[in-house]
Amino acid sequence: MAKRASTSRNGASRRSKASSGIRKTWWGFPRENGDIGARNYLLVLSGTLYANPTCERVARTLRHSVSITHPLGRCQIEPDLKRTFETLVAHGQNANAGAVVVIDHHREEGCTADEIAHEIAKTGKRVEAVNIRLSGGAIEATAKATRIGMEMIRELTNERRQEVPVSKLLLGLNCGTSDTTSGISHNKATGWVTDQVVKFGGRALLAETTEMMGGEDVLAAKCVRPALGKKIWRMVEEMEERILACGVDLRGSQPTGDNMEGGLSTIEEKSLGAIQKAGTAPIVDVIPYSVRAKKIPGLHVMDTPGHGGESITGIAGGGAQVLIFSTGGGHTINHPLMSTLRITGNPVSAELQRDTLDVDVSDIFTGTPIEVAGRRVYDEVIDVASGKMTKAEILHEDNAFGITRVGPSV
Amino acid sequence: MAKVAMIIDRQDHVATCISAIKRGETVELMLNGRKSKKIKATQNIPYSHKICVKPMKKGDQCLKYGLSIGSATKEVKVGDYIHVHNIDSNRGRGDLASD
Repeated sequence: MAKRASTSRNGASRRSKASSGIRKTWWGFPRENGDIGARNYLLVLSGTLYANPTCERVARTLRHSVSITHPLGRCQIEPDLKRTFETLVAHGQNANAGAVVVIDHHREEGCTADEIAHEIAKTGKRVEAVNIRLSGGAIEATAKATRIGMEMIRELTNERRQEVPVSKLLLGLNCGTSDTTSGISHNKATGWVTDQVVKFGGRALLAETTEMMGGEDVLAAKCVRPALGKKIWRMVEEMEERILACGVDLRGSQPTGDNMEGGLSTIEEKSLGAIQKAGTAPIVDVIPYSVRAKKIPGLHVMDTPGHGGESITGIAGGGAQVLIFSTGGGHTINHPLMSTLRITGNPVSAELQRDTLDVDVSDIFTGTPIEVAGRRVYDEVIDVASGKMTKAEILHEDNAFGITRVGPSV
Repeated sequence: MAKVAMIIDRQDHVATCISAIKRGETVELMLNGRKSKKIKATQNIPYSHKICVKPMKKGDQCLKYGLSIGSATKEVKVGDYIHVHNIDSNRGRGDLASD
């Protein structure tokens, strides 16, 4: 884990040094459309759940590839199918994918591999579609996709990183397994990082609508236009209405059992801690789930559920290359394509989950100023964006691709 | 040595205990990194859970970060352990929605 700073020195003198010599550039892979990738993976993307095993076989065979699989893409009502399609396209378009192979099993009206590939191709990156049926079955499709992928990786691994400004970074923000250390340690340190990225002309993306419940006023006050604040109020209201329309109570689901064990008593308390990740940066846009964030410097807000996997899938679809996952209990979450840097300020979790967490900021509780801890996280973000692998990435903990849904399967 | 609990905002009713606290122990309150005052814990409080620093009557809004995190469901005295047994959310209340 990234080392804790010594806590014996004087806080004030270290505070003034927190920003000194801070890096304003990172090293990434420039794409034809101006995006910069923090990774140059071949993405093997499943169009429907029935193509998942083929995708996994291909990705297991090919070094330098990642696969994205899911249980959707078929028998969904129109708004859900549209969301599945858009989320898959957005992942193919994410700059961390250097090239893409999309696989489907037959013909999924509105979500075919051809249609997905067509949209991804608009970024200028290489993309190919493979249909299992038309290839002559799963074994032939595996061979075909593997051969295409191998040639793509030959090209991808011949590309070099270039030095680019922090303004080219879209930093995802998410928290999980939150506890009462979250709002006063790791989320505060994350907020400091958000402020630096935005100060240098970059973008950050805050999500988790459920965890804005009780914090709407704080967020609305950060918005550059009152209309954006109203959007936040409306989207939290809609989330609350959807929950109540099920005839249930949010309590019992949110805060979650581990949240409550960690001392969080209510959703409002969880929310007010969660939004500390936003720092003091202005909110410049509020966007729907998994929609690409505009190129406006500042903090963007996305409408996602509190469900970690679904939320960070939305964030990756928004175009984020690196995500800070800020966790009290020590969450094992990791997105397959967007590098997921996991940090904690809970000293117990830092010890128990040391194989899971990349950065320990628990020394905030023994006197280290937020900005010193924040600088430690910022430096890791720049390193990870430039190629340093997170623990989850090394361990292939690709557990968090999940598309949120509006309606039932049909 | 007194145990420490952190207050986030001057208006708050709660402080976060940064170590486990036993009933009867003295707790030193910190606000913005400065020592504020000392109180006595009336109950055992687990690590990182909340201690009451300002009394509340039933129905009072419980403040943390200077904002409401819910309502007190009973009277809460200084030094009491605060959690789901004495405060409750104001939001997402399915039980109130049907009213």
